[in-house]
Parts: sequence; structure tokens; C-alpha cells
Amino acid sequence: MHQVEATVNGATRRAEVSPETTLLSTLRDSWGLTGSKLGCDVGDCGACTVLVDGLSVNSCLLLAVQVNGREVVTIEGLGGFEYLHRLQTAFERLSSFQCGFCAPGMIISAKALLDENPAPTEPEIREALAGNLCRCTGYTKVIDAITEICRDRAVAVEAPA
Amino acid sequence: MKRPGRGIACMWYPIGFTVAANPSSAVVKVNEDGTATVLTGTVEVGQGSLTVLGQIAAQELGISADDVHVVSADTDIAPMDTGAIASRTTFVTGNAVRLAAAEAKTILLEVASEMLGMEPGELEAADHRIRAKTFPDKQVALAEVAARAQIARGRPPLGSASFNPPTISMDPETGQGKPFAAYVYATQIAEVEVDDETGEVEVLRICAAHDSGTAINPALVEGQVEGGIAMGIGMALEEEILFDAEGRQVNPNLTNYLIPTSLDVPRIEVDVIQSYDPLGPFGAKGVGEPTLVPTMPAILNAIHDAVGVRITDLPATAEKVLMAIKERAEVKPLGRG
Amino acid sequence: MPRKVTEEKQAEAQQLLEAPPATHLPAVAPDSLPKAPALTPEVNKQTPAVGQRVTRPDIRTHITGTTRYIDDLSFPGMLHVKILRSAHAHARILSINVDALHKMPGVVATLTGEEVPVNSFGSTYQDQPVLAVDRVRHRGDGIVAVAAETEQQALEALDAVKVDYEPLPAVFDPLEAMDPDAPKIHRIDNVYASKVIMRGDVDRGFEESDQIFERRYTTPMIEHVPLEPFAAIALWEPDGQLHVYSTNGRITLGRADLARTLSLPMNRIRLTATIIGGNFGGKNEIRTEPIVALLAKKSGRPVKAVYTRQEEFIASTTRHPLVMDYKTGIANDGRLLARSVKLVLDGGAYASWSETTVGKAAILAAGPYRIPNVRVEGRAVYTNKTVTGAMRGFGAPQVAFAYESQMDEIAYSLGIDPLEIRLLNGFEEGSISPTGQVLQAVALKETLLMAAKRSRWREGDL
Repeated sequence: MHQVEATVNGATRRAEVSPETTLLSTLRDSWGLTGSKLGCDVGDCGACTVLVDGLSVNSCLLLAVQVNGREVVTIEGLGGFEYLHRLQTAFERLSSFQCGFCAPGMIISAKALLDENPAPTEPEIREALAGNLCRCTGYTKVIDAITEICRDRAVAVEAPA
Repeated sequence: MKRPGRGIACMWYPIGFTVAANPSSAVVKVNEDGTATVLTGTVEVGQGSLTVLGQIAAQELGISADDVHVVSADTDIAPMDTGAIASRTTFVTGNAVRLAAAEAKTILLEVASEMLGMEPGELEAADHRIRAKTFPDKQVALAEVAARAQIARGRPPLGSASFNPPTISMDPETGQGKPFAAYVYATQIAEVEVDDETGEVEVLRICAAHDSGTAINPALVEGQVEGGIAMGIGMALEEEILFDAEGRQVNPNLTNYLIPTSLDVPRIEVDVIQSYDPLGPFGAKGVGEPTLVPTMPAILNAIHDAVGVRITDLPATAEKVLMAIKERAEVKPLGRG
Repeated sequence: MPRKVTEEKQAEAQQLLEAPPATHLPAVAPDSLPKAPALTPEVNKQTPAVGQRVTRPDIRTHITGTTRYIDDLSFPGMLHVKILRSAHAHARILSINVDALHKMPGVVATLTGEEVPVNSFGSTYQDQPVLAVDRVRHRGDGIVAVAAETEQQALEALDAVKVDYEPLPAVFDPLEAMDPDAPKIHRIDNVYASKVIMRGDVDRGFEESDQIFERRYTTPMIEHVPLEPFAAIALWEPDGQLHVYSTNGRITLGRADLARTLSLPMNRIRLTATIIGGNFGGKNEIRTEPIVALLAKKSGRPVKAVYTRQEEFIASTTRHPLVMDYKTGIANDGRLLARSVKLVLDGGAYASWSETTVGKAAILAAGPYRIPNVRVEGRAVYTNKTVTGAMRGFGAPQVAFAYESQMDEIAYSLGIDPLEIRLLNGFEEGSISPTGQVLQAVALKETLLMAAKRSRWREGDL
């Protein structure tokens, strides 16, 4: 067994895991963070996407031991029921998701994109979401929501955080 | 060289299914504060049934969507429902919810009639009030009526109802009959680019016009259409379960069975055509399944328009399109039509 | 089903981590400070409610990752199930030996088909075993289920099961399966469902036609691919009630099937569907529900079974492949005079929803057109392939591909615009369908004209 210690959504978390344990199952089973979803377990669907040191990765492909000492952000770190990340606000307004199973991963990928590129073009948005499969929405209202907040940001003076 | 093409396809699609009866039941409880709770045995699978059924109950009771909470998907709690299948929820379950809400409303109108000194038939529920149809100033808050009904009059405003679409079974020899109560219609137009050197097809734009009767929630209708089209693009161009000679699936995973990604689904422009079905709840029909039905032929017809080949066995993979282009090029030069 | 991560993918993920440290380390919720709008947007408070673009009541839990899907539920002491599936497409099972299974680490309980009180289910015909006992009819058939402390232990334990088979001749092509000499997959004929629709006199219609168009169209087997795989959890309450959570989209009929397979009164079963991560028709039958219920009974513990992505492909239902022969007679002015359609549906190893599918496909096969003479004949056929069942459209997408491809071919051949030929023949208010139904609320032409307007169809080329 291995000890893993990581900063998860701003808090230090520890777990004792066998060497083959994935980050996804550690998040879900050891730390109770079930927002990241298991859709394929081999890195095809993107439902398990999280940020590790700011980069979006499939948490089913990473071993828990690989994030030792690193910083992990999951969907639970973005917003809660009472306060939302501005991405989530836009997704809510457009009812962008249907069954919602892909939403946590999709939102994390969108956040990674905007952290890197605050004013992406539509092709850049499509490229950034290409690893997140959705079977319900045709991606249309997801892309619309991201486009909308980029446009809002472009015209509004950013209020200091 | 990339060659443009466009194709059109339309369709009809029935609501519900035919092998057996197709009923739904529902219970609507109006609470003492004028909010309501709906019990239904259908299941939320992403289609938005909780939203739409809430809107239907709210409409019948004259309250807002926010005032209605829908409880679903538990056999110990909810009455029977044939289920989230066959695009039937809005039409069939929606009718059951509407009828159950109407039954609860009857109690509200009777109690309000005592309060307002009018006949129940002269009253309506609208905008959170019970009011006289012809003298809208004569009114009382729905919450007040609901509280009075339960607390003072001992008549909790509760309704339960079932709905089964009227059909006539089909003659086994000739198929003559009335298998479904309602049909929806749709047309999609696809614009594509076909690379005549690789056979690759890129879908550039799809315009979709869908009739769903009254759109209870136009945003959800659009969402269904957009998602159905994505599924249709997959079926048109890439999706296929392959088997080896021993009956073993060759590609049972998302690495080798490809579904459309954000890069494969183009701009989709949806027009919701409003019609009024006399049997539907507030004229609504349904929208779930028909959304992908015209997509494949619209794309395949656009491929023909672009490079003059007809692929008659789906999916129209790049290899298949390229082979057809090569065969055709031997007969006549490529081009539109 | 072992988990397969390609080395490239693993390397790719590792490589990402080796990248230079990002300059923008994410603090938690870095730009989440603006308060979210009120829990309910204004539109949800408006009347009348119908017609409003009301925000989904479940959207906020979806976007915050707090919707509880079935795999997010867990119960103290819960066991995990894996199922051994057939090694052959068609075979007699000579023996099943699970003795060694009980010695495998973590194994708590096992189940074979002989232990299922009524080992059959199906929405039209109950021709499908919960777990196969004496015969397998496709490679997705389950044979032995094992409940262990962890998923990994359950998976590894399956290696200890010994099954002896006697392979039988298999048939994979639905047209070959219709041959009287083809291997029989069930006791009845391989053609197990059919539908005929006749209106007018199709032979005379062809005689009166100026031109005849004939073509065969085929479509492949398609998987629903809901992002959430199929799953079920069973617990027995202390009072003897069975509570099953499942991703089943039709719980009323699901409970009836469960009561039948378990021989339990319906009022002792509570079937709860969780919020489902996509259905599209693939989650409309019971699947592992009786298995988890029986393993929970045997073990005295809650039991969960979650399909792998591979099982979702091979052991759930799929979309029917169709072979469709279309023959259409037309007048030179573009009017459709007669259409005959022959449909063969590849029904896979079990009936599932084929009867509904062949019915819907046949009813819709002539298209939304006023055709005085129509004959449609649809048949569903058993093969030794994955079970085909309900999927978004029930045969309609397949026949629409055929009738609209042929419509386009006719239009081009006659030099008539594809939009105009549809307007010429399309259903109108009061048109009579091939089953003799008078249609109402017909909005076909409105949709044709609206889509044409939106795409500027009549303005000419792209």
C-alpha cells in the first residue's frame, strides 16, 4: 500500500491505496468526491476529467500515487449549490445539459480552456471539449454557454475578485 | 478537392407504441400554501420530464413551474406509468398529470365559489388566483383557497387520474387500424463538404424544423433536437458495431466505436413549429425520438448532391464514400448532382 | 472484462504531469465570487407556465456534480458483482463448475441460472434467461455471477469458473437465418415477429406507373452509448421487503418482471430508478436486477452491479440492423402511385422489443406521403448476435433513411427539386395513412417550408 497526500479543492487529503488504484477511484471511494464520473474507465469519454496542477486530465488514467504532492481540482471545487462559478451560471441559464452525466468533466475542461485562453473562438472551444463525450445535447447549448460568457467578459469591465 | 452539397429529408413519427395498452397515471396534491406536488411513475433520463410535467401541472392549476415539485421513479411512492419510452411522456403522462391537476382544481373552484359567491363554472385558476372568468377583479389568492379547502372545509385539494391514448387495433391481415393517437412531423436540411480525394464528409450546418404540437418548453425541445441530430450524424457517418466470423464484437469500446464529438457536430439551427393536437395536453405531442430520424437521409442526400454518389448501406464512412467516388468517376466526371 | 488502458494513453497522462509547472495554479473556485442567481430563475416563477423556457429543476445539481446517479450510491457492507459471459456465439452448456470460485479471495456469494426462481424475461416473449443454464445464444449471455468484496476481486474470481460447451452451428446474417435449413436459435421459427400493411392495390399501382424505382438499403447495428453504464443495487430491508435501485426507465413494468423472475408478490418489491445518465431506449428492460436481488439474499448484504463499457456494448440491447427493399412506382409528374417495402430486422439472440420495432418500422415505412397503393411486409429474425431492442426511433430512423434516399433519387431522376417533390406528395390535414388512419394536426409542409426558408433552399446554390 502507498500513502498519497494531495491538495484537493484546497484541502489536504490523504489516502492509503494499492499501487493500481486510479485517481478517479480514490476521489470517489476514499474521499467521497463522486462528482467525477466513471463512463468508460479507459480515457475515452472524459466524464472523469479533473484538473491536476491546472491541467485537465482523465482521472481514470492517472494512478493515485501520481498526484502525490500535487494540486487537484474537481467539479466540487468549482462551485456549490449556493454559489456558482460563472461557467456554471451560464450552463444553468441555457439548461445546457440533459442527463448531466458528462457535465462535471465537460465543465472542468471548459474551465481549463478559459484559464489558458480567456477569449477562445468557437473552433477553440470545440477543440477543448473534444475529449468530453456527450450523447444527449449535441454540444450545442454547452458551446453556446461558453461563447456567451466569453462575449460577456469581452464587453464588461472585470470586477476585482 | 472539397465539394459542397446539401440534402433535404422529412419524416413522420408516432407518439407512444402499439403492442399493448399504453397508460399512465398521476397524482397531484395542492399544498396549503398553493404550491403543488406531482407523483408520477415515469423516470428522468435527461429528457426533462420533471420540468415538462411540472409545467403542465402548473398550467392547469394557474401557478408557476417553480410552485410544482415533481416526485418520480419509485414504485412505492408513485402510481403506475408505462415509462420513459417511445416519446410518450409529454403526451401520455402529461395528460394524466393534467387530468389529475384538473381534479384537484375542481375542489379549489368549489371552495372558491363559496368564498366569492359565484358558481364554480364561472371561475378559473390563473396567475396564482381563482377568479371570475368575466369579472377578473372578483378573485381570491389560490393559496388562500387551498388552505381553506384543507383546514376549514376538510377537503384537501387532491387529484388522481389515468390516461390511455385512444387507438384502434390493427387488422392482422391488412394492417388497417389506428395504431397511434398522434404523429409529429419534421424536416432537416444538411449542408456538407465531401473531400473527393479522401471520401471524408464534414457536416457544416443542419437546419431542423420540428413539429411537436405545443412546445411546453421550447428550450427543452431545442435541446432534444440538437442531441438527436448529433446521434443521427453518428449513425450517418461512423457508428457501426462490427462482428468477427465467430460472432464476437470487434469494437465494443469508445476507442473504436466512435460517437460524434464537439468537433463533429456542426452549427444546428432549430425551428420549433407549433401545431395543436386536440388530444395532447395543451396541444402538445412529443419530441424525443423523431429528432434523429431525418438526419441520416439529409446527410446522405447532401453527399449525393456534392459528389454524385449514393451510399445505400450505412454508415457512409470515408472509405465507402471514396470507393463510390472512384467507381463513379469511371462513368462520368464528379460534380453537383 | 479486464480494464484496458493503452500504454499510449497512460504515457500521455504521465507526460501531462511532466509538463513544466503551470503558471496559473488554480485556487479553489478562483472566479466563483459573484453570487449565483437566485435558486430559481425568474422565468420559473411566471404564469402561464406552458410555453416558458423554464430552467430544468435538476440542472443545478448536474452542474455542481451533486446529482446522485446510481454509482454514487453506496451502502455499508456492499458487495460488487461481475458476470461471466459466454465464450461462444451459440453452444450447448454441458456443465458449469463453480466449486473453485468459493476459494477465490473476497468472494462472498455466487449465482447460476438454476438458482433463479423463474429464469426468463422479455418485454414481449419471455425468451431470455437471466443467466444461461443449458444453452448460450450469443456472446453476451451471462452464465455465472459472483459477488465479492471489491470489483477487482469479483473480476479475478471469474477465472476460476469452469464451463464446458458443445459449440452449435451459428447464424449471423438475418437473411441466412430465414432459410428453413438455418440453425434454429429457439424452439420456434427464426422469424419470430412480423407485420403486414396493405392499402389499395399495389400491383395495379405499379402497372399504372410511368416509372419504377427499386433499391436495397441496409443499416448497421448501433449502440445507445449512454454516458452512464447500466447498473443496479439490491438491499433487503429488515422486514423482508426488497428494495432495488436501478437505471431502469420503465419501473412499473420493471417491477413486474422482477416479481416474475423472483416469484415474489409485487407489493414486496420497491423499484427505484435513480436519475439516469442517458437512456435512449437501452435501459428499458430488467437486466442485472434479479441477479443483485438474489446475491443480496444469499449474502445478506447490499449488492451492486455496474456494467463496464464493454458489457454495455455486448450485454445490453442495440439498434436493429435492417435490410430494406424498396420499390416505388411514380407518374412522370412526380406523384407517387405505389410503393412496396420488404423489411428484415436482425433481431439478435432474443426478442426484446423487436415486435414493437417491426410494427413501428412497417407502419412508417412508406413515408409521410399520400400513396394510394402500399404494401409493407416486415419480419424480425433471430440471429446469434447481440440482442437488438428499443432504441430512439424503434425502426423509424432506418426506414426514413430508405424512403428519403429513394425520394431524392426519384427527384433527381425526374429533374424535380427535392423540396418540391415532397411538397407535391406530402401528408396534409386529413390525409389517410397506410393503415387507414385519418391524420390530424399534420404539420409536415410547415416543417418543409420552414427548414427550406432557414437554409435559403429556394434561393439556389450554396
